Amino acid sequence: MNDPRARRIAVVADSLLEPLLEELGSADFGIIQLPPAGLDAETTAAWLEQTAEHVAEFRRNDYEIVLVDDGLHTVELEQALARLGVPPLPQYAIQPPSTSRLTPET
Amino acid sequence: MSEDAPKRVAFIAHCLLNQNSKVEGGAKRPGMWEPVIDLLRERGYAIRQMPCPELAFGGARRFWGVREQFDTPVYRQHCRKLAKLVAAVIAQHAAAGDDIVLIGVDSSPTMGIDFTPSAPHWSGKPDIVEDDSTLIRGDGIFVEELKAELAERGLPEPRSTGIRHWFADYDPDEELQRLGALLR
Repeated sequence: MNDPRARRIAVVADSLLEPLLEELGSADFGIIQLPPAGLDAETTAAWLEQTAEHVAEFRRNDYEIVLVDDGLHTVELEQALARLGVPPLPQYAIQPPSTSRLTPET
Repeated sequence: MSEDAPKRVAFIAHCLLNQNSKVEGGAKRPGMWEPVIDLLRERGYAIRQMPCPELAFGGARRFWGVREQFDTPVYRQHCRKLAKLVAAVIAQHAAAGDDIVLIGVDSSPTMGIDFTPSAPHWSGKPDIVEDDSTLIRGDGIFVEELKAELAERGLPEPRSTGIRHWFADYDPDEELQRLGALLR
């Protein structure tokens, strides 16, 4: 059966989802969205726990996973991953704007 | 969450933003299901991705399944645990007066909204060559648990629909029209 999944996943901070959605989509990333700011501590911790479970399962099956982080949940996510034996995720390098946009028209 | 003016918020099935969470053979796109994502952005909806109960429970290498296989007390407890998280976020949006919609996947035993797959005879050795399940009317297991959780919290059910990209007679135009009506 044909399955076109790219087997690459970006774990993305809520604040960065909208601005980076197009870029990540163009690079064939599937996305796991981190919880938004402003939730109570218990809900946030439980949400990060289930996120870590998703990540651990993908890592166990050799999917590429990167983190697109704004620092909001960094420590808590690393702790949740560590509890499952998963090391911190590599950071996604946000792509700079195309230099062609910086070239003045002649 | 901010105290800004009411927003438009779409709670979507995990796989619509992450096709990797589908069962093997079930992905339609490399990363995400763009027709829905593009429409949500076009209509100004913030995206709230829900967890994938099947991935968390059965893993990335789980077999395809139907409602009768998943409808167990333990799987419902698992779904309810995740539904409580989603309901907590919905509650905050509801309190802010936000417009909330729910988008599931109508070929899923877990995330179905209007349809869910059924095959009472599926069991045992996983060697079914042809998918002879049928789509029956009703919610998936997680959606049932989410609606029950919302009811317990006194929260209204969001307007909802399901993506039907695995239907044999899938009609992208019909789906866009149905989604367009939902995202009013």
